[in-house]
Amino acid sequence: MAGGGESLGSGGGKTKRGSSKRKAKKRIGFRIDMTPLVDITFLLLTFFMLTTTMAAPQVMEMSVPPEQEEVEVAQSQLLQFFVRDDGAIFFSIGADTPEKIDPKNLKQIREISVRENMKPENINKLIVALYTSGEAPYGLVVTILDELNRAEAMIVDQMKKEIDPETGKPKERQRRFTIAPILPDQVELIKGL
Amino acid sequence: MAKVKKKRVGFVIDMTPLVDITFLLLTFFMFTAKFKSEAESQQKFTIQRPKVTPDTTTIPQNDLAVVKVAIDSVTGDTNFYYELTNESDRAKVWGSVGELTPEQRQSLQLKVTKEVLSELVRNTRIVRPNTKFAIDADRRLRFQWIQDAMDILRRQQATKFTFVTEKTGM
Repeated sequence: MAGGGESLGSGGGKTKRGSSKRKAKKRIGFRIDMTPLVDITFLLLTFFMLTTTMAAPQVMEMSVPPEQEEVEVAQSQLLQFFVRDDGAIFFSIGADTPEKIDPKNLKQIREISVRENMKPENINKLIVALYTSGEAPYGLVVTILDELNRAEAMIVDQMKKEIDPETGKPKERQRRFTIAPILPDQVELIKGL
Repeated sequence: MAKVKKKRVGFVIDMTPLVDITFLLLTFFMFTAKFKSEAESQQKFTIQRPKVTPDTTTIPQNDLAVVKVAIDSVTGDTNFYYELTNESDRAKVWGSVGELTPEQRQSLQLKVTKEVLSELVRNTRIVRPNTKFAIDADRRLRFQWIQDAMDILRRQQATKFTFVTEKTGM
């Protein structure tokens, strides 16, 4: 920095103009004081670093069946999850009595879903249904959906490894899932549990 | 002593690499910076999105219709809001709904009742059938609100939509 100031000062002080000797001297000692530049750059950098949000919102895909459709399903191929008014979660395989899921161990949902879906007789046939009370918090419902989605990823993964002897290719996964409001008789079923 | 003094006088640090890196970072942050949308800066609520396992899905940018269910930060009551990202569609859809003040016609999102929401969704589907729908709701809400929003979408044959969520650990 000191060098820069010196060369500029000497250049301004001399009265002779256009001498080739001076020009050459100027070039050799050429220095720009970068301090203000760095100051501003750091200021802007700090600003952008602090204001930028890296966490772009993520999305979870959902599809619901069209309105009119009413499908009769065999109860044996049904895995039901219930969410009660107070947020308690229950599951029921086929026509079994519902069992409670430990609210601290929601991983259980994933495990149950994978286990039931991977049973040979259930592959691509099992319907997973989530019945939710309108009083339960939305965050909890999304957590359950997230667990089911992760289970789905594991199922797809496992199915890719297994080769169907008929076609020589792995079976394609067809997900069967539905979400619906809880029915009054289901509420009765899980009331005392 | 003299030697040390001389050294101090001529003390110069070459700042070029520093400036290089700083500019590089600055450019990076300038390009990646995403500012709040206009609708977001107008609204009087912040949505606490439900948290899920991180993955790569991101919200679509074009032709998106967002049904927001949010808690007003001042009054504390819950309302539906409807936002359309496509400007020309918005003019058409907003225009199709009666009883809007000129101010509301200009805004990016509307505070709506269930009935108006249903009408807006229907008109959006007429104007642009391939509009993508998303539900952006607060995780603290009762699920009934989301159930209502889902029913409205379903009745207008918008059976595929997305829930806007947030990565865990952020």
